Amino acid sequence: MPIAKSERLMNLALCLMNTKRPLSKRELRDSIEAYREAADSASEDSFNRMFERDKDDLRELGLVIDVDENALDGELGYLARRDRNRLPEIALDAEEAAALSLAAGVWTQARLAGAASGALHKLRAGGALAESDGAEAHSALEPRIPAREAAFEPLLAAARDRRPVSFAYRKSGAAQPEQRSVEPWALECWHGHWYLAGWDRDRKDVRVFRLSRITGRVKARHDAFRAEVPDHVDVRQHVARFAGEGATATARIRLRRGAAFPLRTKALNAEPVDADWDELEIPFGHGLAADLTEFGADVVVVGPAELRSDVIARLRAVAGSTGAAGIEAAVAVATTGGSAQ
Amino acid sequence: MSNAIDQTRRMLSLVTYLRERPGARVGEVARAFGITERELVGDLNVLPMCGTSFRGGDLLDIDTDGERIWWHNADDVAQPLRLSSDEAISLLVAARAVAGLPGLRERDRAALTRAVAKLEAAAGDAAEGSARVGVTFEAEGSVFADADRAITERRRLWLRYYSSGRGEMTEREVDPIRLVTEGHTYLEGWCRLSEDRRMFRLDRIADIKVLDVPSDPPPLELRDLSEGLVRPAEDDPQVVLEVGPGGRWVTEYYTYENAMELPDGGLRITLRTPDPAGLLRLALRLGADGRITEPPDLAERARSTAADALARYADTGAAG
Repeated sequence: MPIAKSERLMNLALCLMNTKRPLSKRELRDSIEAYREAADSASEDSFNRMFERDKDDLRELGLVIDVDENALDGELGYLARRDRNRLPEIALDAEEAAALSLAAGVWTQARLAGAASGALHKLRAGGALAESDGAEAHSALEPRIPAREAAFEPLLAAARDRRPVSFAYRKSGAAQPEQRSVEPWALECWHGHWYLAGWDRDRKDVRVFRLSRITGRVKARHDAFRAEVPDHVDVRQHVARFAGEGATATARIRLRRGAAFPLRTKALNAEPVDADWDELEIPFGHGLAADLTEFGADVVVVGPAELRSDVIARLRAVAGSTGAAGIEAAVAVATTGGSAQ
Repeated sequence: MSNAIDQTRRMLSLVTYLRERPGARVGEVARAFGITERELVGDLNVLPMCGTSFRGGDLLDIDTDGERIWWHNADDVAQPLRLSSDEAISLLVAARAVAGLPGLRERDRAALTRAVAKLEAAAGDAAEGSARVGVTFEAEGSVFADADRAITERRRLWLRYYSSGRGEMTEREVDPIRLVTEGHTYLEGWCRLSEDRRMFRLDRIADIKVLDVPSDPPPLELRDLSEGLVRPAEDDPQVVLEVGPGGRWVTEYYTYENAMELPDGGLRITLRTPDPAGLLRLALRLGADGRITEPPDLAERARSTAADALARYADTGAAG
C-alpha cells in the first residue's frame, strides 16, 4: 500500500521546519520514505512533480518555505525558517474566543470551512484561545455564508493572489454566454448571492459580475494585473443600486390596505384614499416595475407615466399569453421584454 | 485529496497541542479539534511515522493507551504556526460579517471587533487578502433582538407576519427555535397556528412581541440546512415554468428539480412547492420573460390575475 499523502506532507513539513541549513531535493528524498518509494517505483519526473505539488500544498497551509539558490553547490536548497513560521503572540479572552468560534462556523463552502476550523486549531494549539466557562449567553444565532457557485473557489484564489482570470459569462437576459477576461479585485456576498468586481480587460472598464451567471470553468492566467487596483472597491454599493436601492426619484402608487407589505415598508409616506386603499410615495429605483407587477390587482401605479405603462405592458404580457404549451410561444414572449433582475 | 490536506493541517496543530499537554485525554483532544475519537486515533497512527528523517531514529514517539496520549520525545519541533492566507481570510471575513449583523448583542459585537483587531495583527501579511472579500448579512435589528431574547429566555412570540405565498398579513404565536442568517435572516420556530415548523423571514415580520408564556415546542431534531433553507417535499405539487433568457434568474432564487435548456437561451424549469398559488406572484413578476405552463389551472389563474390588475387601469381611464 502506498504511503498516505498526509504522512508524506507531514514528514516534508517536519524536515523543512527542523533543519538549520537548506536541504536539497535529494536530501529530502533520502530522508522521507514516501519519496524514496516514489523515486524507486516511478520515474524521476513523477517524483519531481510530486515534490512540487507537496511544496505548494504546504504553502497553502501557511508554511513559508524559503528557497536558497546558492547554498548547495548550485542545487536549490529548501527550508522553513522558524522565525518566519511562528504564530505571533496573540491571546483572545473567553468572550473573544467564543464569539470567534461562532463566526468561524459560517462557511458552508468546504475549502473555507476547512480553513476556518484549521485556523481555530492553530490558535487553540498555540494557547491563544482562553477556555470558556460556558456561562455567558450568546446570541442564539446560526449565521451561514452560502457559496454554492462553482466559480467561488477559483475566483477567491485569483483575487487573493491577484491573478487575472477568464470565464464565460451570461449577462442578464442574454441568450448566449460571452468570454470575459477580468482582473478580479473583490468578492462580495449580498442577499446570499456572490458578486465579483474587477477590471474587464476587453471593455477597459470596471465591471461587476454575478457568480451564478458564470458558465463553465474559471481559467487562471499567469500574467500580472495591468490596471491599477483602487484602494477601496465598493461592490455592495454597485449591486445595491442595481437592486433598486439608493434611488432619488420617487413614484406614487395605490395599495390595497393590508396587502403587499414589502412595498409598504419602503414607503416614504402613506395616506388613506378610502376605506380600502392607501396612496404611497416610494423610491423609484431599478427594477421597481417588476416589484410592483408582482402584487397584481393589489397595486395601481399613479405615476410617473413611464412606470405606469411599463407595469401595464408587463401585465398584458401575462394576461395575453395563450397557454397552449410550446417552445415557440415561449420564444416569442421571451424575446420581447426587458429583464426582471 | 482535500482530506489529506485537512488531515495534514490538523496534525500540524495537533503536535503543538500535545506538546503543551502531556497525558492529554483522547476525548478532550477530539472535542478540541472537532473530530471523532476514531479520527483522532487515525491521526495518532500516522504521527509515529513522521519525523525529521525516517532513518535517523527521530520519528515522533507518540502513543496512546486509548484514554491518554503521551509524547515521549517531545522537543521543539512543534511551535505554534502562523496562519495561512486562506485561514486568515476565512476567520476575518466571517468575524467582520457577523459583527456587522444588525441586532447582534453588543457584547458579542464588541468581542468580535476586538478579536478581529488581534487577528489582523497576528496574521500580518496573510490578512491582506481578507479586505478583498466582503459579506453583508441583512437583518432587522429590533425584530432580531426580540427573537434572540425570546430564544434565550425560552419564551413564546407573537408575530404579525406577512405571508408571502398568500400575500396577506397573518397573526400567530410561535415557539422560537433558532435564528438562521443566509443573506436574509430567518426565525425558525414552531408555529402554533399551523402546528408545524416554519421559517419566518425577519423583514416580513411587521410586529413582534415577547409573550409572558413559556416557549414549548415539541421535541424537534434541528434540520441540516446545508442544502438550502427551503426544501420542498417529494409529494408537493409540481409546477413547470418556461422562461426566456431574461427569466433565468428564477433558478437562483427557487429550489428546483430540473432546468432544461431551451433553444432560445431560456429554460424549462420544473419545481415542487407546497403552495403553488405562491408562484402566481412569480408569474406576474416575470412578465414577458416567462410563464407557468403546468398545471393548466395555475397558468389560467396567472392570466386572470393579470387581467384583473389591468382592469384597474381601464377603470382609471389610462390603460395606454
